[in-house]
Amino acid sequence: MLKIENLHAEIDGKPILKGLSLTVNAGEVHAIMGPNGAGKSTLGYVLGGRPGYEVTGGSVRFRPITGAGDTTSVRVERSRDTLSLDFARDERERGDSARDQREGVATASADGDWIDLLALDPHERAAAGLFLGFQYPVEIPGVSNVQFLRESLNAQRASRGEKPLSGAEFLKLARGEAAKLDMDADMLKRPVNVGFSGGEKKRNEMVQMGIIDPSFAILDETDSGLDIDALRIVGDGINRIMRRPDKAVLLITHYQRLLDYVRPDFVHVLDGGVITRTGGPELAHELERQGYGVAA
Amino acid sequence: MTLLELPSTRAEAWRWADLGALSAAAALAPVAAAAHEWLDLPGARLLFVDGKLDASRSELGGVTIEDHPAGDHALGKHARGLGWALRLDRDTAADPVQIVHVATGKENHLPAAIALGDDAVAQVVETYIGSGWTNRATRITLGRAARLHRSVRLLQSAGFVSLRDDTSIGAAARLVTVFLGAGDAGARIDGQVTVGEGGYAEVGGALLCRGEQRQECAVRVHHAEPNGQSHQLWRAVAADRSTASLAAAVEVARHAQKTDGEQSLRGLLLQRTATVNLKPELEIFADDVKCAHGATVGELDRRALFYMETRGIAPARAQALLTRAFVADALGRIGDDTVRDAFEADADAWLERAL
Ligand SMILES: Nc1ncnc2c1ncn2[C@@H]1O[C@H](COP(=O)(O)OP(=O)(O)OP(=O)(O)O)[C@@H](O)[C@H]1O
Ligand SMILES: [Mg+2]
Repeated sequence: MLKIENLHAEIDGKPILKGLSLTVNAGEVHAIMGPNGAGKSTLGYVLGGRPGYEVTGGSVRFRPITGAGDTTSVRVERSRDTLSLDFARDERERGDSARDQREGVATASADGDWIDLLALDPHERAAAGLFLGFQYPVEIPGVSNVQFLRESLNAQRASRGEKPLSGAEFLKLARGEAAKLDMDADMLKRPVNVGFSGGEKKRNEMVQMGIIDPSFAILDETDSGLDIDALRIVGDGINRIMRRPDKAVLLITHYQRLLDYVRPDFVHVLDGGVITRTGGPELAHELERQGYGVAA
Repeated sequence: MTLLELPSTRAEAWRWADLGALSAAAALAPVAAAAHEWLDLPGARLLFVDGKLDASRSELGGVTIEDHPAGDHALGKHARGLGWALRLDRDTAADPVQIVHVATGKENHLPAAIALGDDAVAQVVETYIGSGWTNRATRITLGRAARLHRSVRLLQSAGFVSLRDDTSIGAAARLVTVFLGAGDAGARIDGQVTVGEGGYAEVGGALLCRGEQRQECAVRVHHAEPNGQSHQLWRAVAADRSTASLAAAVEVARHAQKTDGEQSLRGLLLQRTATVNLKPELEIFADDVKCAHGATVGELDRRALFYMETRGIAPARAQALLTRAFVADALGRIGDDTVRDAFEADADAWLERAL
């Protein structure tokens, strides 16, 4: 679904990503860990298309898995249930099963073509199905959450040739998502992230993700700043919204805790602008015990 | 009139005035009268075409047409002779008065007066459309505890609109004036407000400029008596190579103790080729006053733009949303929902054109 090959990127002429390669298939969750300053957020921003983050080499290709009508989505729903049962199995077996699921999906839905992600503007990447959950969500004074999200969703719908949701339809959807993430519906009326606590901002990112329903999410430290209950709620939210055979997630995190809720298929260590190690969920436990000194 | 009598930009009060644009505007070729729409409000409706009342398409209500003497303001003095007047007796309230000024090229001048008796209440909405040099002088007198809400939108597609207001606010009287510049003509909003004891004055608005356009406000609020309050909240948005200038002054006389005067002047540059000039001025001769002023010029928050774009909002739309938020508190001062909606729609239309 996402193929990053030998990616080099710099900020203000300073090389940050130095030949990073990573492949993420549909149905997979990849965790990215690594020391502060390693380039994890930079990777997220480069994938999102942030101005000033200059790609100096390599490629990023993206292939959204597009559903093909109602019958398909029913089938996808069913295979999602199967997949969630698979969480209990051991990692290796589940890896295989995830692959089976992928093949199942490939026959059930029409795969799009590979897109050169780097050639798209940020809003076009969003329309293609990419979602970037920010490590530091931005405050937008004077623009309400509702207005912001409705604009976002309707812009994406328009680019897919779907008709816009009315104010009432949108409010119903937004209230539903807010409730699922245990966010007070009153926060929808407030200006985007203004005066939100750190944890509330992160929760708001997940409400946005639930409303937009992307096919590929890069979540940059969505777990940082969350209290114990919120961590579970957000973890459940990620599983509910993104744990599907036609979707995938890049989960940037510093802590094993989130990975107890959102079990990754792969764990990578990003250090010095490249992936230095890749393993299964057990790698996160090992890192938690031993730190990056050993891993690097 | 002859343009020889224009003020000099060497004078401080005229330093940002685009006086050359006046002559250019006055020389604009005649155009057909632009179409206008009345807001869905009860009350009087006056249509002036080139400064002359179109009686067949107007409903004067309580508004009268009368002779006005010339004042002494450099531009305002040219607006004299027959003009409109809204005069309310004490304790009366009028339905909203709508005035549409259509210019069809060349120049036109029109005087006006709003005089409210004690405790009288009025709302006036003015709209300027068309092309040419449109020059106005308005004398406003508020009696004790009278209340006037005035909203003025400048939507001319070409030329220049120069407004001069001379306002006197009686004891405990209240004035709220909101201007919106969202057309393509040059503009100068020039005002002098004198606040009486315990009086309240709000004069502000949003000037949206693009292309080579130049718009400015030059408003002086004079607190002559104690316990007055004034707020000048102006927002200027400048795109392309345009210039928006905000000059707002507060003067507090020696015995005008306990005056609360606030100025908030903020500029937003949509491109670095544009210019915003800000000049907040405080002249305080009393010692027990509370006067605050803020003046900042900035650009759209790039991080916010990127954040919005990652959610699928196109760059121009993201810019429009942030710009709209920037002028929201100025337009939010309009109390009447119908009027505010109309002004906000004008601002949105401007954003659609400019971005
Ligand atoms: N504008 C900039 N100019 C120069 N260097 C920058 C700039 N922005 C980021 N960097 C550098 O890029 C490197 C990677 O930063 P990045 O935010 O990607 O790290 P990270 O892995 O996300 O770290 P953390 O775990 O602390 O979030 C850091 O050394 C940072 O200082
Ligand atoms: Mg980071």
